[in-house]
Amino acid sequence: MLTKELVAASTVPLVLSVLTEGETYGYALIQRVRELSGGKIEWTEGMLYPVLHWMEDEDMIESEWREAETGRKRKYYRLRKEGRKALHEEKQQWMSVHETLTKLWKTRPSLT
Amino acid sequence: MDERPRNPHEVMENTSQFDLNASLSLWLARLAQSPHFRNENVAEMESHVRDSVTRLRSQGLSEEESFLIAIRRAGSVAKLEPEFAKVSRSWANLIIHGLILAFFSMGCFFLWGITRIPLMMAVEHAKLGALLPAFSQLIIRAAPWLIAPPLLATAYCVYVWVRPASSKSSWPGFFATAMAILFLLAIPILMAAFLPLINLIDHIPVESFQP
Repeated sequence: MLTKELVAASTVPLVLSVLTEGETYGYALIQRVRELSGGKIEWTEGMLYPVLHWMEDEDMIESEWREAETGRKRKYYRLRKEGRKALHEEKQQWMSVHETLTKLWKTRPSLT
Repeated sequence: MDERPRNPHEVMENTSQFDLNASLSLWLARLAQSPHFRNENVAEMESHVRDSVTRLRSQGLSEEESFLIAIRRAGSVAKLEPEFAKVSRSWANLIIHGLILAFFSMGCFFLWGITRIPLMMAVEHAKLGALLPAFSQLIIRAAPWLIAPPLLATAYCVYVWVRPASSKSSWPGFFATAMAILFLLAIPILMAAFLPLINLIDHIPVESFQP
């Protein structure tokens, strides 16, 4: 389980990254992240939807109500140009944290 | 009323009294009562809970069990509300800024109107061979500057409107500042309008009081 702070920081890059696989809706997003993380990242609806709406306000993503195969309407989210830019920046930041930690943990294995 | 497609199999198969559509409507109605949930948000939550129920049913749970688990996962209304409020509040914040700006500008215009009152009395003063009190003259000359506070406030509001969305509501600060400025401007302006009145009463010839 991630800490509250880490969940807050990682939600936007995770949403953006999942959306690079193609458009999707809220429920499927939660499922996809749960599946990819092996159940370690469990998003709640109350947390995800406000973030999605905020990202939409920020023009990172756009949404559209469409009828699914089941005949029910779903709100699909899609990546926008602004979102790709944001993802690019997020990637660099997460990679620099990752690389630094990896180096530190490699040179000092006694830490763990 | 309920236009959602019902699955006939689900209805027939369900031997208990549980009605998914009715229970879901009740839950959604509670969400809809909150001012932070727009109709669209409620529709999205409905779509989500229905997906969740479908998934749980496919794992062998009954309709009622699936529904209870789905809404429990979605979080109680009390837990969802503050999360949604964080996002929707910023809109209310922007609109309230606009209302305060309109009120403040009107207030400044009103105060400017009051500075015209001693100007009207200047004619009467001239007839009596008197001048307006120096303070009133000063305020009359400074009156055009009353355009500055609304312009500053407008510039601030434009900044608030175009800056990246923030979850903080900044209108209370704006409201307090605007009201304080209006109040501080009103004191000298009302004095400037009042002083020539006293002056006039002093200068009115005694015979005019006689019929």
